[in-house]
Amino acid sequence: MNFSQHLPALIVVVPLLFAFVMPLLARWRKQWCVPVTLGAIIFSFAAALQMAFQVMSTGPFSYYMGDWPPPWGIELGIDYLAAFAALTINGVGLLIIWFGSKDLLHELKPEVLGWYYTLYLLLMASMVGIVITNDIFNMFVFLEICAIASCGIISIKESRDCIEAAFKYLVLSVLGSGAFLLAVALLYMVTGHLNFTFMAEALPEAMVLYPNNLLVAMGLLVVGLGVKAALFPLHVWLPDAHSSAPSPSSAVLSALVIKVYAVAMIRLLYLVFPRELLGIAPVMEMILWMSTLAIIIGSMFAIVQDDIKKMLAYSSIAQIGYVFLGVGLMSESALVGGILHIFNHATMKSMLFLAAGAFIYGTGARKLSELKGIGHTMPIPTIAFCIGAFSMVGIPITSGFISKWYLALGALDVGRPFFTAVILISSLLNGIYYLPIVVNAFFSKPEEAVPAPKQLPREMLVPLALLSFGVILFGVYPSLILGIVYRAAQLLLGL
Amino acid sequence: MEDIIVRYVSRFILPFVQLYGLYIVLHGHLSPGGGFSGGAIIGASMILYALSFNLAEGSKKLSHDVSSILESTGALIFAGMGLISILLGANFLANGAAGFPLGTPGNLFSGGSIAIITFGVGIKVASTMATLFYSLIEEEHSHEHH
Amino acid sequence: MSITEIVLRLHANSYYFFAILLFIIGFHTMLTHNNLIKKVIGMNIMDMAIFLFFVAIGYVRGGRSPILEPGVNHAFINPLPSALILTGIVVAVSVTAYALSLIIKLYKHYGTIDAEEIMRIRGGGSL
Repeated sequence: MNFSQHLPALIVVVPLLFAFVMPLLARWRKQWCVPVTLGAIIFSFAAALQMAFQVMSTGPFSYYMGDWPPPWGIELGIDYLAAFAALTINGVGLLIIWFGSKDLLHELKPEVLGWYYTLYLLLMASMVGIVITNDIFNMFVFLEICAIASCGIISIKESRDCIEAAFKYLVLSVLGSGAFLLAVALLYMVTGHLNFTFMAEALPEAMVLYPNNLLVAMGLLVVGLGVKAALFPLHVWLPDAHSSAPSPSSAVLSALVIKVYAVAMIRLLYLVFPRELLGIAPVMEMILWMSTLAIIIGSMFAIVQDDIKKMLAYSSIAQIGYVFLGVGLMSESALVGGILHIFNHATMKSMLFLAAGAFIYGTGARKLSELKGIGHTMPIPTIAFCIGAFSMVGIPITSGFISKWYLALGALDVGRPFFTAVILISSLLNGIYYLPIVVNAFFSKPEEAVPAPKQLPREMLVPLALLSFGVILFGVYPSLILGIVYRAAQLLLGL
Repeated sequence: MEDIIVRYVSRFILPFVQLYGLYIVLHGHLSPGGGFSGGAIIGASMILYALSFNLAEGSKKLSHDVSSILESTGALIFAGMGLISILLGANFLANGAAGFPLGTPGNLFSGGSIAIITFGVGIKVASTMATLFYSLIEEEHSHEHH
Repeated sequence: MSITEIVLRLHANSYYFFAILLFIIGFHTMLTHNNLIKKVIGMNIMDMAIFLFFVAIGYVRGGRSPILEPGVNHAFINPLPSALILTGIVVAVSVTAYALSLIIKLYKHYGTIDAEEIMRIRGGGSL
């Protein structure tokens, strides 16, 4: 029995399994919750690493659930993009929950702590499921699990704002899932398949016979996943949801959950729909303009915020715009930039949210004006925040620079320097709202004397340090991850 | 609720409802229905009990401890059957390919791991239905006492 | 196209037609009603419309339910959409339960389940 061949299934099943063990542990063996959760995610991370090596050495492979080959069974397909996304999800997710194991103690009631780990493991399993599945209905099921789990980790705090934000998020998520399911129905109607590969084979013929069906399906898919990914005009739920949630939840929602839907959309648009269909309807053009608006308007909104977490949430709307900009431009460099930005934004945004969480943990301050001089009292989180802020602005030697560079190159490649200008302007806007915080943190004094902040435990400092190390590492040596991203982009573009 | 008719009637039909639910769960691999439908019927019977008698007595029959154990067990049976398939050398959730005895189609003891999985799903759904109901009701009650 | 043709066409595609009609009703309920419970009901109607649409795809006129019996040969309906939708229903149940529990919590915090009222109490923002 070759154990490693089952990793595609186990990477989803192990977190799911432990998610169901967790309520029992929470009832009778409370102190085991954290180690077991960390263990399950470490296993997934190791599995994702192994899968990434395998995919780089032997090429994409697939796994048939229950030994039923497609089109009958569910196929998990590990290609470059899936392995890359799985690695990102588990790596960043591990650091976030490690930080959370201490941070949550002060944000949640003790009796719901165990449930948080259940929801977190469900979320991790469903996110990995979304990116590695090769079956559209299976993807829908994972989307729903992901939606409920991500609402759950918001509403678990039970404050007024959280409940309200979670309800709004839930309603819009259900709308998005409904649109997605309708699209699945329309696609199944004309192709008779649910497997991506078989659908892609059947679609060119179906496109001639039923072009309207396909256009509606594509529109519904873009809207459905767009709502969940908070693509610009569909982003209304995001600021409340991401800012009111407990800090680890904000980090995982902003860093990973919205990206997963972007990955799903990339896979569907590039691998399933025939290129000619994209010629009939200007979907890519629409995505381009929506992402441009997202980048500009998201940054503008972020400038006027006073609450640090709300500012970070609006910044996420702008940053998801970069990913979609890369998707819409359809050139190799731009797609590399977009996919790379999934990873880079995951690391830096989770770091920023966790640093904000550390500020809140230490001082209880949420307002930007209360964070003056914080660099003197809480140096490590502030340095992490600074590195994240520099990376957001796109200053060289940080990873944010690399993805912006590739996006700008990609825009020039297809002869649209306008979008390069958009990236430059947005960097400027990012600078406007991130840099004053950095400056204030180190070079100004608090208006009134503040009590010394609570000491941060090691469990919170180490993830922050690791994330900042990662941002610098992947900024200096981007080739560590560019190999798999290049192959992913080439596979998607059919080069 | 203090309605004698509702109590009497539900006392009569409850065993049959539960038996029917069990039948549907156990024949999940043979006939329409299965884990979810049967489990929902069993869960509905527990809800009917709580509604027609009183809540305190209902939650005595199925305490939170028991229902959370049942919920986890149901899910673990499902995942466990999948893992057993891996241990037997086939892919996750493989049935015939992993060497589960398939039996004669149409018999109760057939279908390999499907029957066991359906049973696990039935347990999970039944306990989840009841838990959902009790949680919502208790939340409502704790609110009234404020 | 004459009226009769339209009617005949609608009749031939009545499942799809009514599914879309239900979808619009659900969507409308969800968007226009302030009562949060009604929003959830609208959500459910919308989901059911999609389920009806999906199941209707698999329907074969005159087909029987796909249970194999030795020696009997019928036209069967396509069981796959029905099986998929069973999963969809499970999801809809859990989403509904979750939404209702959130509403209970909201009621606890605000003493009302009217979206506009909540908005007013909160002062700004929207639900």
